[in-house]
Amino acid sequence: MSSSSGPDEGATPKLDVAELEELEEQTPEEKALGSAAAGGKERRGWITAAWAAPGTLWLLFFLVGPVVMIILVSFWTPTLGGFEKTFTLENYRTLFGSDVYWDQLKDSFFVALIVMGACLLLGFPVAYFLTFKVQSVRNQVALFLVLLAPFLTSYLIRAVAWQYPVMGREGAINQVLEKLGLINEPLEILGFSRLSVTLFLIQLYILFMITPLFFMLAQVDRSSLESARDLGASWWQSFREVILPQTAPGIVIGSIFVFVLSMGDYGTTRIVGAGQVASVGTIVQNYVGGIQLPIAAASAVFLVLAMMAGVFVLLRFSNLREDL
Amino acid sequence: MTGARWSKWALAAYFVLFTAILYLPAILMAILSFQGTERLQFPMQGFSGHWWQSLFDDSIPTSHATEIRSAALTSLYLAFLVGALTSLLSLSLSMAFRRRFPADGVLFYVIMLALMTPGFLLSLGTSLFWQFMGKDFDWPGLLTPFGGLAAIGTGVVWGLPFGFLVMVAAWNRYDVRVEEAARDLGASSTRTFREVTLPLVWTGLFGAFLFGFTLSWNEYDRTALVIASGELTLPIQIFALTTGSVIRPDLYALGTATTLFILLVVAIVLLFFAIYVRRRLRAAPASHEVQVAEELGEVEGLDLPPETAAGGARAK
Repeated sequence: MSSSSGPDEGATPKLDVAELEELEEQTPEEKALGSAAAGGKERRGWITAAWAAPGTLWLLFFLVGPVVMIILVSFWTPTLGGFEKTFTLENYRTLFGSDVYWDQLKDSFFVALIVMGACLLLGFPVAYFLTFKVQSVRNQVALFLVLLAPFLTSYLIRAVAWQYPVMGREGAINQVLEKLGLINEPLEILGFSRLSVTLFLIQLYILFMITPLFFMLAQVDRSSLESARDLGASWWQSFREVILPQTAPGIVIGSIFVFVLSMGDYGTTRIVGAGQVASVGTIVQNYVGGIQLPIAAASAVFLVLAMMAGVFVLLRFSNLREDL
Repeated sequence: MTGARWSKWALAAYFVLFTAILYLPAILMAILSFQGTERLQFPMQGFSGHWWQSLFDDSIPTSHATEIRSAALTSLYLAFLVGALTSLLSLSLSMAFRRRFPADGVLFYVIMLALMTPGFLLSLGTSLFWQFMGKDFDWPGLLTPFGGLAAIGTGVVWGLPFGFLVMVAAWNRYDVRVEEAARDLGASSTRTFREVTLPLVWTGLFGAFLFGFTLSWNEYDRTALVIASGELTLPIQIFALTTGSVIRPDLYALGTATTLFILLVVAIVLLFFAIYVRRRLRAAPASHEVQVAEELGEVEGLDLPPETAAGGARAK
């Protein structure tokens, strides 16, 4: 990710940062002889390594270490107090053998898929509105901030706020529906159910879908859109042939975010599902509470594998590296 | 064309509806925090500031004021530290990425892994990892008032990908020629970095800090299993209140209060940013700031020296 990537059209060529660094670090002999003679490249390598070091060490210690640890523990034997380091496949065998576990894994997976699809369908018009129908960039940003504000609050708060005042038996939705005469009794299903969990997750993570879409839609080449219209394409045709392909990376990224976050979510299902709607996260938590750490680790590992499978499939839809 | 106008209004209506639904729970919660009784839902039975009072005054019987206050302070400390560290580490990592280096692809994916790893998994892994190392979560104790390098660590890991991406965007706008100019004028690397480079990317640093701060303030999953005993963060305290005891409207007051707090922080920050940018533009605009101002539509009405205006008009 160097900061220059080839000459700008018509502008003076920017010096590559690398060249710049080299020039700056050359001794008079090097300037005369050329940098290869004096090992200029090694100096540059040191500096880059020094910059990368703190962050890399931090990530190794706080991210890679824990993840590796989980993988290891999932292969160790549980004991009364925790675990001992004897290799075993028993944890995985127990998981694979458990119907309950498979059911809940499938449930999590499908809920995540539904949430992802819904976020895409519901969020796309919002992003489209902001990029194509709102004129000045300043207004776009302002409206985007308006959308952003609710997401700054803790999701626990939002879970509680959603659960009781809105969805509860005597919450806003039920009361409005009753007053309108559409129902006679409060809809219980709005309460603690898979439906409520799904709805909650949608409104919780939808901004993670809208944001990449917003950025990609903003970069859509308007002139190609105009040409399509000039050539007589209908709105739907120009959407499908021009806008959609150019937005694809955004769709994929947004979908990956929402899918991963939904599958990995556990605090919400606790409150919004009141423990009646299980997710793999709840399962892991229960195992941890019962100090069956190796099985907890194994189910966590498996969850991540399931997640990675989903992400892998999603990545098939767009070659991200070249498009970004 | 009526077709286009219709679609604009339809989409606008959708947008308004969408935003309203998004804000609905928070608004309802704020209203209900003034509930006259212990009732959690509508209709309101009376109007009372009682719950707000019990938020601050622990002489009231069902109040959790002391725990809430200490949890809030803990959260605040943690959020500041996490924000600052996120900012620093985002800066150093993105500086490394200004050019290619061996395994830069791997490092990039590790950074993205920080984004994708589910919170509870990280929490669990960290707690296992530390037990394995024989350290408890107060290690190294000396570091902070509330101990807990682990909590800081996982918090930063969550904020780092966001801060990193913000910095990458900042570097994208950055014009290396300004550095070159400084070097030509004889400045050393350190001086160039401090007086030229840093000020030009400070917006990215600030964005990274904001991300770290807000993400940490609201974080539950990642801190849940790694917090030192006796030192709860606000989200954890809230969770305990929702699952451990009877839920009362004082929780609504708490929720509204924390929401207002974070909104206030962000609003103040944005205000400072807007004022700062305007003032800099009047004084001595750097070309990238002119670019930002142009994009925000703020260039009209400012007297810019002709050269900078030309520099700012360079196509993105």
